[in-house]
Amino acid sequence: MTAATFAFVALSITATLSALGVILFRNAVYSALSLILNLFSLALFFLLLNSVFLAVVQVLIYTGGIMVLFLFVVTMLAPDARDSEQRDPIRWQRGAAAGLGLILAGGICYLLVNTVLSPAARTTGAASLSKAVGPTDQSIQAFGSALFHGFLFPFEVTSVLLVVAILGALVLGRRASKD
Amino acid sequence: MPPDQPTGYLIVSAVLFTIGVVGVLVRRNPLIMFMSIELMLNAVNLSFMTFAHYLDSVEGWIFVFLVLTVAAAEVVVGLAIIVSIFRTRHNVDVDELDSMKG
Repeated sequence: MTAATFAFVALSITATLSALGVILFRNAVYSALSLILNLFSLALFFLLLNSVFLAVVQVLIYTGGIMVLFLFVVTMLAPDARDSEQRDPIRWQRGAAAGLGLILAGGICYLLVNTVLSPAARTTGAASLSKAVGPTDQSIQAFGSALFHGFLFPFEVTSVLLVVAILGALVLGRRASKD
Repeated sequence: MPPDQPTGYLIVSAVLFTIGVVGVLVRRNPLIMFMSIELMLNAVNLSFMTFAHYLDSVEGWIFVFLVLTVAAAEVVVGLAIIVSIFRTRHNVDVDELDSMKG
């Protein structure tokens, strides 16, 4: 067992268990902490896939920005949120959701193994795709030049989206405090 | 398994996505439903990264970058909506937020 395999297995177990923790913990604060562990293990997955830049961005944006916001809101609303989950109006909902989830997981895995990962698709598909996407250089320089040359328009649209999100949050917060 | 084949990463990604779907279906707390949506977004990010790695291209990284930005914007607006609902109604159970029901 090589070091990469060991890291992969350990990270898979951590990611799956922490994801289960997110949806199984009663207390929303524990769920948020579990989600932080999950996001961190995904950042380590990114490192394992040779992308230092996006691993750092994942930790900065998710753990530094999004999860801090989540924890603020959760600690602000948690007492009521926890109490309201004690009862369960629809009895069969959990079982049905678990069954549908199993079917979904099975379907996705079947599709992955049989189409994306079949030997034919792996050789011809990968060859044609890498021909289509052009020169292959996985470095931060290549990422930067792709972002600012080929994908400049989506990148600029992103800034419009962020401005709209900021304005939306301001409007929602202001109207609520005026009431 | 990991060094030469994407199978393991994609299966982990499928499992995480499914856990997110089940979380959205099962939980009643909108905050935890939101966290489940984040789980799904991150599962898709993992498969983007896997394909980028095994096809030797950076386009997948750019998709991940854009998904991160959209997720940040979505969380900001969504949490603002949840807080605003909490301020006016003093509970955050999605079963009781049915005033727009036809």
